[in-house]
Amino acid sequence: MIDLLFVKNLIYYIDGDDYMLEVKNLSARVVNSDIEILNNLSLKINPGEVHAIMGPNGTGKSTLSKVIMGHYNYEVTSGDIFIDGESITDLEVNERAKRGLFLCMQDPTVIEGVSNSEFLRTSLNEISGEHVNLYTFIKDMEQAMEDVSLDSNMLHRSLNVGFSGGEKKKNEILQMKFLKPKYIILDELDSGLDVDSLKIVCENINKYLKENKNASVLIITHYPRILEYIKPDYVHILSNGKIEATGNMDLALQIEKDGYNSINVMNGNDQDE
Amino acid sequence: MSKILYVIDDNEKSDYKYNINEDTIIYHFSINGSSHVEVNLCSEGVSLYYYYNTINYTDNKFHILVNHEKGNTHSEVFNHGVNVHHNYLTFTVDGVVPKESFKCICNQDNQIINMKNGKSAIRPNLFIENYDVLSNHAAYIGKFKDEVLFYLMSRGISRKTAYELLLRSFLIDTDSIDLSKIDKFILEINKI
Repeated sequence: MIDLLFVKNLIYYIDGDDYMLEVKNLSARVVNSDIEILNNLSLKINPGEVHAIMGPNGTGKSTLSKVIMGHYNYEVTSGDIFIDGESITDLEVNERAKRGLFLCMQDPTVIEGVSNSEFLRTSLNEISGEHVNLYTFIKDMEQAMEDVSLDSNMLHRSLNVGFSGGEKKKNEILQMKFLKPKYIILDELDSGLDVDSLKIVCENINKYLKENKNASVLIITHYPRILEYIKPDYVHILSNGKIEATGNMDLALQIEKDGYNSINVMNGNDQDE
Repeated sequence: MSKILYVIDDNEKSDYKYNINEDTIIYHFSINGSSHVEVNLCSEGVSLYYYYNTINYTDNKFHILVNHEKGNTHSEVFNHGVNVHHNYLTFTVDGVVPKESFKCICNQDNQIINMKNGKSAIRPNLFIENYDVLSNHAAYIGKFKDEVLFYLMSRGISRKTAYELLLRSFLIDTDSIDLSKIDKFILEINKI
């Protein structure tokens, strides 16, 4: 079966059976280090699903998001990552983005001299392979900025320069709305966001998911608070670089109530030692 | 309203001397050239904004000397260079405030991007003899940061286009430049 997903200027042709983000037996480490951070980790995210990965500090949550995106600081030692049946493990970062992957970063990078509008228009041009009309782009951008409660003068400011933590996160979501990805990874979205900003950001993500039924989300988080706004279908607990438990929202609530030790993940490690 | 000057050097050794008596902005663009620049702030209260941007292919030196001859004068010097190959590029940046010049501001910001393994050097010198002066300097030599390239590429931008964006923003670092006056320099950026 062939599904057609029309995304504004972009058209993805997808084989129904292979349409997913799949991480298969993935192990990875920091470049020039012997310490494996991800350890034989496997995960499948089907169209329209929302997955959350939780875990204590230092268990590899953010590393997973960066390895999937192809971050220069990590190397895959074994296993594979697939998008829609195609291995992306050896692809350049931009090629992964072109296949519909989007990483909303925990601490978005500041780039002096490159304006928001110039950056996003270049990005749209490269992903769509078409020249984006300037007038349409600016009008769409102004509307999108209003949606995420960003001042429109930020359009012409250098990328993330002088932005507050909340503004940076809103800017990430603004980019997501424009680039129309299929697979969205939210790395600690709630860090640096006040309650009101978190609500605005999550409303925009939910609206996006409603409008793009096949889009999937992987939420990396310490706390269940964000999961009250973006409801996960699955909650995974990461420990020592692999998924040790999978459940639903009840699992996240249990962790909030009783901590990570309550689900016996840590006990398992202790026994190994 | 400041007086604005555009200077374009092209593959030669150039010397410039300016005696500044009104607020002035100088945009100095160089393609593979060496320059010596002397600026004298000759009137009380005048300001100078000096933007030097260079693309370097061989061995070159840039030397700028800013003399705060009068009090309440203000200088901001921004030097940006891209060292394309394995050659030498040296910035020597001198700010001088004599004892008689009170309440001056004398700042400089110097950056060189090595595209390969060029031998770049920055020599920031602040010769301040008056105690009532505000003065800062900054210097950076290195490559474009990996995290910056990663961020741009994570949004679908190819490595080549990412470099083009970064080079352009680095070498044309202010919105107030009239691009029609530096079309040759812009073409040169695209060749890097």
